[in-house]
Amino acid sequence: MLHQLTGKNGLRLLLNTALLAALGVPALAMAHSIAEGDASFVIGADGPAIIPFIYLGAKHMVSGFDHLLFLAGVIFFLYRPIDVVKYVTLFAVGHSITLILGVLADIRINAHLVDAIIGLSIVYKALENMGAFNNLGRFRPDTRLAVFAFGLFHGFGLASSLQELELSPEGLLTNLISFNIGVELGQLFALGFMLLAFSVWRSYSSFEKHAFLANTIIMTGGFLAIAYQLTSWYLQSA
Amino acid sequence: MNQAKVSRRKLGIATGAALGVGLLILVAIVLPAEFGVDPLKTGRLLGLSDLAGGEEGALIEQHTNHAEDHVEFILEPFQSVEYKYTMDADTAIVFSWQADGEVYFDMHSEPAGRPPEDEVSFAAGDASEQRGVYIAPFTGIHGWFWENRGFEEVTVRLSAAGFYALATEYRDGSTFDIEPEPVLD
Repeated sequence: MLHQLTGKNGLRLLLNTALLAALGVPALAMAHSIAEGDASFVIGADGPAIIPFIYLGAKHMVSGFDHLLFLAGVIFFLYRPIDVVKYVTLFAVGHSITLILGVLADIRINAHLVDAIIGLSIVYKALENMGAFNNLGRFRPDTRLAVFAFGLFHGFGLASSLQELELSPEGLLTNLISFNIGVELGQLFALGFMLLAFSVWRSYSSFEKHAFLANTIIMTGGFLAIAYQLTSWYLQSA
Repeated sequence: MNQAKVSRRKLGIATGAALGVGLLILVAIVLPAEFGVDPLKTGRLLGLSDLAGGEEGALIEQHTNHAEDHVEFILEPFQSVEYKYTMDADTAIVFSWQADGEVYFDMHSEPAGRPPEDEVSFAAGDASEQRGVYIAPFTGIHGWFWENRGFEEVTVRLSAAGFYALATEYRDGSTFDIEPEPVLD
């Protein structure tokens, strides 16, 4: 694996990776703001608007690069469908709890801090995929617990993007649940594509060989997200 | 889950590389593009600093007349009015409006030569005042829709100064054009 990073080919690979990652930057920057047109819809909505909020939730999830990157890390080595269902459900339950609680109880945590932790979740999962925790024995964190716990933070991130808008108290619960349903639908939609891509990739014998590098790239994305959020936080409070 | 034993060294190098590349992308590309901060001068090199504005965007010279506008609208219950300025792209106005009751407002713009559905809304909701600086992103008509959704008469007072070509009031299906009065002759 390491010999791929040295020599001319290795350098090209690294530069291509950096370029790809850089292209993801605008997506990361957009990862936690709702588009302007949608924002004015939410502000103007007075009362329940089920379908629009379902759509908003789905759109938010599908364009949420940080959520998707974490999901990719979670399903990376899940070969059995039942395991995919298990872990994605753990993640979904986690983020649904804090999404609903966060908005209803108006829990305001600094959005940049939450998003930085979401970046951390990406780094964590990539490291775990790379086997970093294999030698910890008894102290190895339970993957299911980690996915659920990080799911809680993803949910706070979802809540904070909704809280940036002035949700009308009329129909709030209905709209919130609709948004949550939308998030799950968007997640399923994105998951479908991811699983398809993974199953194609896994049919190649090079999968195991490139898995380490792929997770390094995911980890790079996670570090970039953390650094970007911390920088935004620092610059905005300055 | 990947159960193979992985060398600490390999993991350490990979993590270090990931952190390094991530920070490099942040400093070389993200900071210039998003915040106008350019320590490696790569923003200038790649043309990204134009995205962030920074010092380059501070002054926007104007070539139309500087005009001042003070108008008042009396809205009976459930009455509404629209008031728009005709402005070219990159011209600006400074404005504030105040109502003696709560109104629903929508500050939006319609690009010239495009159907009304292409309008862009900048801010909307229930309020009794709004203040701001507005720089027209495109040529068209730019302004406000106010609606009195209560049962008492409401008066909305608008004060604006800037570089618009024409002011137009739209009420009850009729249009009233008001020529701007230049501040300097």
